Amino acid sequence: MNAIEVPRLRLAVLTLVLLAQGCATPTYYPPRGERLPPPVIEQGSQAPGEPRPPPVASVPQPTAPVVRPRSPAVVALLDTAEQQANSGDLEAAAASLERAIRIDPRNPVLWYHLATVRLAQGDAQAAEQFAAKSNSLAPGNTVQQSRNWQLIARARHAQQDEPGAAAAEQRARELAGR
Amino acid sequence: MARRRPRRRKRSHKPFPWIKLLLVLLLVLGGYIVWLDIRVTAQFTGKRWSLPARVYARPLNLYAGQELTPAQLAAELDALHYRPVRAVQHAGQYSRNREVFHIMTRPFTFWDGVEPARDLRVSFSGAAVAELADRGSGHALALARLDPVLVGSFYPAHNEDRVLLQLDEVPVGLTDALIAIEDRGFYQHHGIAPMAILRALWVDIRAGGVVQGGSTLTQQLVKNFFLTSERSLARKLNEAIMAVLLELHYSKDEILEAYLNEVYLAQDGNRSINGFGLASYFYFDRPLAELSVDQYALLVGLVKGPSYYNPWKHAERARARRNLVLDVMANLELIGRQDAARAKTQSLGVGPVGRKAINTFPAFLDLVRRQLQTDYRDEDITSEGLTIFTTLDPQVQWQLERVLAGRLDALERGRGMEHGTLEGAAVVTSVQDGEVLAMAGGRDSKFAGFNRALDAYRQVGSLIKPAVYLTALEQPESYTMATLLDDSPLTYTARNGDVWEPQNYDRQNHGQVPLYQALAHSYNISTARLGLTLGVDRVIDTLRRLGVEQKLRPYPSLLLGAVEMSPFQVTRMYQTFASGGFATPLRAITAVLASDKTPLQRYPLSVRAAIAPGPDHLITTALLYVVREGTGRAVYQVLPADRNVAGKTGTTDDLRDSWFAGFTGDRLGVVWVGRDDNQPTGLSGSTGALRVWRDLFAGFNDSGWTQTLIDDIEYRWIDPATGLLADAGCQDAVQLPFIKGSAPTESAPCMRGVGSLPEAVDWFKELFQ
Repeated sequence: MNAIEVPRLRLAVLTLVLLAQGCATPTYYPPRGERLPPPVIEQGSQAPGEPRPPPVASVPQPTAPVVRPRSPAVVALLDTAEQQANSGDLEAAAASLERAIRIDPRNPVLWYHLATVRLAQGDAQAAEQFAAKSNSLAPGNTVQQSRNWQLIARARHAQQDEPGAAAAEQRARELAGR
Repeated sequence: MARRRPRRRKRSHKPFPWIKLLLVLLLVLGGYIVWLDIRVTAQFTGKRWSLPARVYARPLNLYAGQELTPAQLAAELDALHYRPVRAVQHAGQYSRNREVFHIMTRPFTFWDGVEPARDLRVSFSGAAVAELADRGSGHALALARLDPVLVGSFYPAHNEDRVLLQLDEVPVGLTDALIAIEDRGFYQHHGIAPMAILRALWVDIRAGGVVQGGSTLTQQLVKNFFLTSERSLARKLNEAIMAVLLELHYSKDEILEAYLNEVYLAQDGNRSINGFGLASYFYFDRPLAELSVDQYALLVGLVKGPSYYNPWKHAERARARRNLVLDVMANLELIGRQDAARAKTQSLGVGPVGRKAINTFPAFLDLVRRQLQTDYRDEDITSEGLTIFTTLDPQVQWQLERVLAGRLDALERGRGMEHGTLEGAAVVTSVQDGEVLAMAGGRDSKFAGFNRALDAYRQVGSLIKPAVYLTALEQPESYTMATLLDDSPLTYTARNGDVWEPQNYDRQNHGQVPLYQALAHSYNISTARLGLTLGVDRVIDTLRRLGVEQKLRPYPSLLLGAVEMSPFQVTRMYQTFASGGFATPLRAITAVLASDKTPLQRYPLSVRAAIAPGPDHLITTALLYVVREGTGRAVYQVLPADRNVAGKTGTTDDLRDSWFAGFTGDRLGVVWVGRDDNQPTGLSGSTGALRVWRDLFAGFNDSGWTQTLIDDIEYRWIDPATGLLADAGCQDAVQLPFIKGSAPTESAPCMRGVGSLPEAVDWFKELFQ
């Protein structure tokens, strides 16, 4: 830790709000219907010049997003992470968040919190990467994206990258205004 | 006379040198005792044992909504040696009534603290956990974890193994029985029991040699601790002196605890089993605290001679010895007569003899050891008693071992190859956090030799092509998914005059091919031409960003995969695609605890943005097409059509190496199949490695790979024949993603103005408003 401002971690305050939004992320999840009976047909080596069989199916096109149920396990781990962070045990908080990510790896909220913990530990580079990862999992979720960019601004500021920090802040404001 | 006098005079002075000699002797003896004392205290006070590091699999988390089948939970409990019972009463037991489990878990110290013992009720609905509750209170629990499966240990050179126990962890009944059998006067004597020695001496004299010990527990400890097993009077004397010294310095409890951990109780190959803690696992597959009275009576009986009373080889001897111990215990009223009688009727209860190989997953352990070696010295790994938590998922590992061996057998049978011709290796990771879930170093998963997953460097063939296409797609002003590539014959002359004429696998030329199809069908000529236009150096830069670390020479043949990589290296590269463009170090270890269970080190998750979101979206879409329409489509002969899989096949010259790298929304798997002598196998990526991958992933209930729609991507209907905009008039139109502003603006000839195709992303736009 050096002169970096330590943000007070208010995970719980944000948790429920963000988790709800994180869950409504408009990524597209192809429908997961019943399994088809597997046609186990062994094909021999495809001889050169053999005509291609018709495609099995086309690449699924975008469909409506699936809203995932909120996992009590993930909420419980976020609670634990918050307690650990607030009692100063940041590495334990990171471990709890990683455990939550193991359960729900595409939840942008979890990656965002991991970024805040790393920033509080003074690892601004890691914080920026985790915030970017959160962004990549939160398309259309402008609230989460704005928070991520705010955090990136702080991380860049901590690395004396003032122009970068200003650009990130600008981005955060734009997203918040949408 | 005159001569004799001086003699006499001398003689009268004689006693004096004798005393001198005696003093010297006493001094030497005193010095010797002091030296022994220093040895005894130094050894006993300092670190007493070198303890092997213990390696654990990931703990199984339990929570409502978790994808897990009852069979998988049962398999995990079995691997943990939980015992199925009708009514659960103790830790380490479970009962199952169809889809409802009652489990009494064992407490376990993790990196982040102790997970307490819990009394759980787990109910299933289909292939998921429906409910998790505390059986005592009936309240729902958000999350619990089982103790992790022990998957191996790192032993020092002399192969001594033990599970260290503190005295209060040892059942009182066991210590009572031990004292009753081995040294009834333990709490009274001062290290030696003279009467016992005399009795033993009498027996020895009558027999004309040393046959009986008469040793106290303290003496036995000293013998094990400091001395060789040689039987001589001098050693006996040393033993006695050291035993007395030990008793002078240490309490009975300290000596007893050391004894319980030191005593030799079995031999497992070249590994010696020391102490009751490990012996309990060795004989009964469970911790000491979970043993019944007949079981620890057997352990106590074994102290006298583990090989003579070996319960597998000499069951009757072992039974008689155990029953003798039970009788002694009953006579001393340590247990009731009835209890003793009942215990004597029990079977020996030892586990299957074949389950002794401790290092169950040698290839994975090899990876763990290598990752540890960057932070720890070898002697620390083998002697400091570290607890190592890993990312290994036993369920995935078992599945991998089964399908790799089974599929290679089937491939050999199907092609009339001699059994054992083919070899294979594979790595499975989780897509977002890069945890190594399973690893196979060869088809014989128990063989701890050559680890092909880490050390077999083989040409990767077409597996390298996505790096070429990504390099192109990162220049949206020049290349899009629909850009037509030239697949006509290519002759490239290097500066040194070498001529390179790449051929397609099917020996055909395909004319003008849209970029995504050239990758999907893995056309060599169009790829080579594209790569040469982009520049080999730029492709190498891309490979570096993707996480490829080894030396790469900028030859044109690199573009078609004339580069040797290990399956693990390939996994690193594809991990970056699978995790949304973030290079994610592959971790096998999550944390390490010191021998006193305090946290020593954590191996945290880390990510590094390697591909911008736009190009990442494009390249992963192209990899989806590989499996939907291209060389990877055999995947869907088995996997359900609605499960998105992105991947790539790889085949090298003369069919020497067969590769497949593919990922779902949850897991990435990389498989190599080939021969150790690098001879042709007759297998392409699709007919070899893909089959193994397919068998493996058919067993997972993964979610499909989900493509994330992002702001800078838009989808357009395209006519593949021309790479131009299409409408309902174009029969084979496909919807392709473009980085905004890069989509073609010209219409294809097939567009007849009969109406536009549906805008598939309309729903998406609405979400922004």
